[in-house]
Amino acid sequence: MSLLDLSGIEKSFGSVSVLHGVDLTVGAGEVIGLVGDNGAGKSTLMKIVTGMYQADRGSITLEGDNILELTPGERRARGIEMIYQDLALAKQQDVASNIFLGREPTRRVLGMSLVDRRKMKLDAQKMIDRLGAKLPAITRPVGSFSGGQQQSVAIARALTFNPKIVIMDEPTAALAVREVQSVLDLIRQLKSQGIGVILISHRLNDVLSVTDRIIVLRQGRAAANLLTKETTMPDIVSAIVGGGDVMVAAAHEAQG
Amino acid sequence: MATPQIQSVPSLWARLQEKSIEQLHIRLESIVVLVGLAAIMAILSPFFLSVSNFMNILLATSTIGVLAIAATFVLSSGGLDLSIGSVLGLSGVVGAAFAVNLGMPTPIAVLATIGAGALAGLVNGWVITRGFVPAFIVTLGMLGIARGLALVISDGRVIYGLPDWMLFLGQGRPFGIPMPVIILIIVAIIMHIVLAYTRYGRHTLAIGDNENAARTAGINVEFHRLTLYTLSGGLAGLAGLLFATRINSGDPTAGITYELTAITAAIIGGTNLFGGRGSILGTMIGAMIMGVLQNGLNLLAVQSYYQQMAIGCVLVLAVFIDQFQQRQETKV
Amino acid sequence: MSNISKNRAVGMALLVSLAFAAPAKAGEYGILMKTLSNPFWGAMGAGVEAGAQGASVDYYIQAVESDQAAESQLNVCNTMLERKPVAMITAAINSTNLLPCLKSAQASGIKVVDLDGNLDPAILDAEGLEITFSIGSNNVLAGAQGAEYMVSQLGADASGPVLVIEGLSGNITGEKRARGFADKLAELAPGLEIVASLPGDWDRGKAANITNDIMTRNPDLVGIFAANDGMALGAVESVFAAGKGGDVIIIGVDGNSDAVKSINAGRLTASVAQLPYLVGKQALENVKTAVEGGSVESVVIVPTLVLTKDVIDAGTEPLLEFVK
Repeated sequence: MSLLDLSGIEKSFGSVSVLHGVDLTVGAGEVIGLVGDNGAGKSTLMKIVTGMYQADRGSITLEGDNILELTPGERRARGIEMIYQDLALAKQQDVASNIFLGREPTRRVLGMSLVDRRKMKLDAQKMIDRLGAKLPAITRPVGSFSGGQQQSVAIARALTFNPKIVIMDEPTAALAVREVQSVLDLIRQLKSQGIGVILISHRLNDVLSVTDRIIVLRQGRAAANLLTKETTMPDIVSAIVGGGDVMVAAAHEAQG
Repeated sequence: MATPQIQSVPSLWARLQEKSIEQLHIRLESIVVLVGLAAIMAILSPFFLSVSNFMNILLATSTIGVLAIAATFVLSSGGLDLSIGSVLGLSGVVGAAFAVNLGMPTPIAVLATIGAGALAGLVNGWVITRGFVPAFIVTLGMLGIARGLALVISDGRVIYGLPDWMLFLGQGRPFGIPMPVIILIIVAIIMHIVLAYTRYGRHTLAIGDNENAARTAGINVEFHRLTLYTLSGGLAGLAGLLFATRINSGDPTAGITYELTAITAAIIGGTNLFGGRGSILGTMIGAMIMGVLQNGLNLLAVQSYYQQMAIGCVLVLAVFIDQFQQRQETKV
Repeated sequence: MSNISKNRAVGMALLVSLAFAAPAKAGEYGILMKTLSNPFWGAMGAGVEAGAQGASVDYYIQAVESDQAAESQLNVCNTMLERKPVAMITAAINSTNLLPCLKSAQASGIKVVDLDGNLDPAILDAEGLEITFSIGSNNVLAGAQGAEYMVSQLGADASGPVLVIEGLSGNITGEKRARGFADKLAELAPGLEIVASLPGDWDRGKAANITNDIMTRNPDLVGIFAANDGMALGAVESVFAAGKGGDVIIIGVDGNSDAVKSINAGRLTASVAQLPYLVGKQALENVKTAVEGGSVESVVIVPTLVLTKDVIDAGTEPLLEFVK
């Protein structure tokens, strides 16, 4: 049984149809690359998985349970985490507040349910240490950190609550080379722990080096479902642009 | 370049500042200003340093203080409530009408006063979150609607003569402390805990900081906003109760431009006008700075015009220093 | 960082010392006005100061930012008590807002004076407050004087429509003036019919609009009574713009300097002058008498004066001295 199963997902915004029946499965410990041109529907599809958007038609199951009716918060509680491209951090709040946002541990004091700051700080520090991230101070607002440090916080938030599926939207787009390597290492580590990963990326080299399978979205359809070890860069590019100037595009991509 | 590394050892001030922000949720400067201002007033006026004058300052701050708590919650969630001054007036009139015109017992009149405010806030929140009308527009509309309604209900006249039990809330002095001061302190402590230490409060700040982040974290942003505007209206109702019981009448013109004074107190106290940061203790210090300034200048028999100038200066200075330090601290 | 805070504190100190005032002395009088930005209250404040200097007593005057700032006036009042004055002379914003402060003043033996008759005797009784005296013009009488003057110009058997422009709806002062005018007019000249009595909210522009509207409906309008001079001057503009200058008798109340100018220019017919300067001056003189143990009437009514071009030109009226 696969971990996450999408079938026949359709979505339109007003008269604009974005997804026309997409199927996608992710197994435990499987890393899926989700690629496609701008506007192919990658982000929309993932927001349907996290519950930010409602699908017009189709089904979503997690470990065989239908999760279509669940709110984003409930899906998160079931183990679906997403790391957004813009990181979705509250920049004036500190590290612990961000990691535990929406899931703050509480303790009862005089009948009032108060946020357990001590536990939050301890757990946040543990998670940051586990990721090997270097942060100036855990009590400072995350807006004062560098881009890579902020990303560490976003990743720590996704991993703190033992997720089953982690979706990463362009996690390497804004990073330096060394930081990219550590993100790819992290993905391999998640895989070894049996966590399913969906990686959205324009950097096909990264996708080829870390994934098991690659799904290519084109004009709202899953145009290709490729096994990574049997796939080359030109195959992917060809699937993305849909024939035509394949060689030119592939050459360009190989340089990049 | 051989610049000496001075960052490695943080100064005493920096360490105190960090503790203050972490534990009390306020910046040290505000306390320094408050104490400094009080010291100046004590030197300039022989009447300043006395228990009864201290009570005067707190009493004069009570109505605005409660409103400023409402403003802090709404502002730190990235919202805006311009209607709290008018809602204060409306609530006071509704309470007085219940108690005087309808002859209702005090508990019901008190509930009606706060309830009228909460209802106005609920309407604000409903239109903002369900009608997608900007908060500025909705609450500006409510500013006019509530004021007009207060004049309609009271027929443009002050409704005088509240029952004794109700008056106790505004004029009673258990242990020599005025009731409005006691109510302000209790409400401030509770709301400080709510904003700083409960999930509700943390979510309020997160929504004001980055609405999208709050949404992706599974927070029901619309419902949360609805409750915030209702809370704001309810607190305005409580302020209306304090006002009406203090002057023993429901005054339909009560609280004109109080919303701006309340927002000023919140911002002097360190609330971010655009959301994400705010603390009730800070707001109380902001309100006290304004209270000490007004009281001191009154004792010195300085015309009220200068007081407005002084408060304007403090507001701009407070935000200037805040911005200056934000830039210093985020400089890497 | 600490430097900045120091700078902020020093800045505040400068601001305060700029407005530095002498410390209080024993036996001073506290005077609490509404707002001094309105010429009427400004003149009363000047009268109070003149009276205090004339009687050589120490005093300090406080006012609030607007004549709607009920609560902030109460706060100022409480603060003034800290200086322990021997008397508090207060022009309350409404009949109730200062009551808690006046009660504690009474409890500490401070004499309380109601300046301009803003307190309601019934409420004072209910609250157990005994004020030393209340001083001011009688607004009902002022309205009646306006009616008397209008009838003296038009004749007791005259007929025609008359417009009354009231003050802010619900405001007691405007209501008394309008009522005094209406009652006296009905008594003296039943033929003169008040066709409309509308609130002008003390607003010159609003009064001008009301006048325009009523003149459209009643082109034969013979008289306008406005509850203050500002609104009367608004009515004047509308009447002259409609080409009816001189045909309509327009009467205001207050006798402020703008009204005097307009009367001299032959536009406004008359203004019932309230003489706020005299009210302030007499208040101070009476307080001194009371503080020194003398007896003072509990209600002092300061006369009002109908200002017309004739009165001003003749210059013989003794009360003219107090028209500011």
